[in-house]
Amino acid sequence: MIVREILAALFFILGTAVYITATIGIFKFKYVLNRMHVAAIGDTLGLLLITIGGVCYFGLAFVSLKIVLVLLFLWFSSPVASHFIANLEYIINPDLVSKEYKEETIDELRKEEE
Amino acid sequence: MSKIRRDYENSLWRKLVRFVYGENDSFHEKAGYDIEHPETEKRKEETFFEEVDYTKKKKESDKFFAKYSAIAEKRGEKVYNHFYKFLAAITCFSIIMILLVTVAKLPSFGNPDNPVNNEVSERYIEQGLEETGAVNIVAGMILDYRAFDTLGESHVLFIACVCVMILLRLDKETNDPEKLKALENDRDFEPKNEAILQHAAKILVPVIILFGIYIVLNGHISPGGGFAGGAIIGSGLILYLNAFGFKKTEMFFTTKTFSVVSVSSLLFYSLSKTYSFFTGANDLHSIIGPGTPGAILSAGLILPLNIAVGAVVACTMYGFYALFRKGGI
Amino acid sequence: MEILYAILLVFLIVCATFACLHKNFLTSVIIFMSYSVVMAIVWMLLESPDLAITEAAVGAGVTSILFFVTLKKIHAMDQEKNCDEETDTSEI
Repeated sequence: MIVREILAALFFILGTAVYITATIGIFKFKYVLNRMHVAAIGDTLGLLLITIGGVCYFGLAFVSLKIVLVLLFLWFSSPVASHFIANLEYIINPDLVSKEYKEETIDELRKEEE
Repeated sequence: MSKIRRDYENSLWRKLVRFVYGENDSFHEKAGYDIEHPETEKRKEETFFEEVDYTKKKKESDKFFAKYSAIAEKRGEKVYNHFYKFLAAITCFSIIMILLVTVAKLPSFGNPDNPVNNEVSERYIEQGLEETGAVNIVAGMILDYRAFDTLGESHVLFIACVCVMILLRLDKETNDPEKLKALENDRDFEPKNEAILQHAAKILVPVIILFGIYIVLNGHISPGGGFAGGAIIGSGLILYLNAFGFKKTEMFFTTKTFSVVSVSSLLFYSLSKTYSFFTGANDLHSIIGPGTPGAILSAGLILPLNIAVGAVVACTMYGFYALFRKGGI
Repeated sequence: MEILYAILLVFLIVCATFACLHKNFLTSVIIFMSYSVVMAIVWMLLESPDLAITEAAVGAGVTSILFFVTLKKIHAMDQEKNCDEETDTSEI
């Protein structure tokens, strides 16, 4: 019992530390994609650690299954959201990728298709 | 008509408005000739520049006009700004003080001697499980003892959706080029047929809608109920719409579906619970017995009423989004 | 527990103030979103999970989506600079 609680507390502290670094990073970085990257890392890694902590705390119960479901749901939805933020930045910002690079990549893709 | 207009122009209210906006034309009579408006004055100068020679009188009046208008504008603006800020500050302050005094006079939180803890809540807590059969006392209260409250709330949601429909709905075949352009422009920076979103939606939407149905069906056992579950189902439908577009959602959700589902569930609700407006909320419990508390099929009418409320809320949420987005469900 | 409660309430007050005062509509909608999430936690602490679920689903989810769609309809999201200038002139 005590071992489980200590493990849970350890994982909670680790997860909170990851979240705190993610929050500091969101305020520290200046560019959109950097900030998005940091936020996505906080969402995935910090959530994983906190979920493991929760499962350790509750043991093999129905609640742990619900917590794992929450983890799965957020692991599906959070990367999609980050993908859309990056996509919007890619569409809006004309200076992000040079035209030559775009054409090169398109040519490579065509060659691969052939 | 003209008389009314003149009366309005001469009325005290209009004078106050002119004073507040800084359009006070006290120079009007003194200037000696009719100055209509600075813009028309300018136009006159431009058009009749060669024909009209400026008399001395007009130059004087121009000076007069400039001087007085400057004073009026400056003073009016200043007075208006100060007055406005002062009034806003006083209003804010008085509202804050009234609210703070009210909060200070409230009985302390959790005190057993509070006037809230009277026989009504005692009755609800002690006999709620026996009389309604709902383990979740809140569901028993809002859908059995005080069902007319929830009836009003769901009707308010439906009426709000109908109002949005009146305001924002487009005709089916619009030839107006501006509207068509706005419709096309609406999805400029948004992904159309994005593969990642579609795959995520394929996995997530059934889970979300299943979770919403779970919350609706377990409304009398665990926290949740019609409103929360309906909102979750509605957001799942919104995600599906964003991923696959209107063509796919119109296969199962049209205006007809919206009207049939929401109106039938509201009718069911009204038929089963309007009697409490006449008899009071204490009598006439449902024909279906409370059943064994804790089972899904228990608690009499609470489960079907929860389903009705959930259907109305889901339809309303999806309808709001579709109407805001496209101008039609 | 008291300290957590106090922090949440202070956060609520700050969020409400800045949602009103901020000039950019998009930012104020996002602030309002965080207000709703914290409000859901407060409902949870006040032992009313029904309200907490509804607040999280409606306040943080659907309402902000509707706000975003409305901002897009009135073209307030893509022209931030123009919008700021317009509000400046209209205030005077």
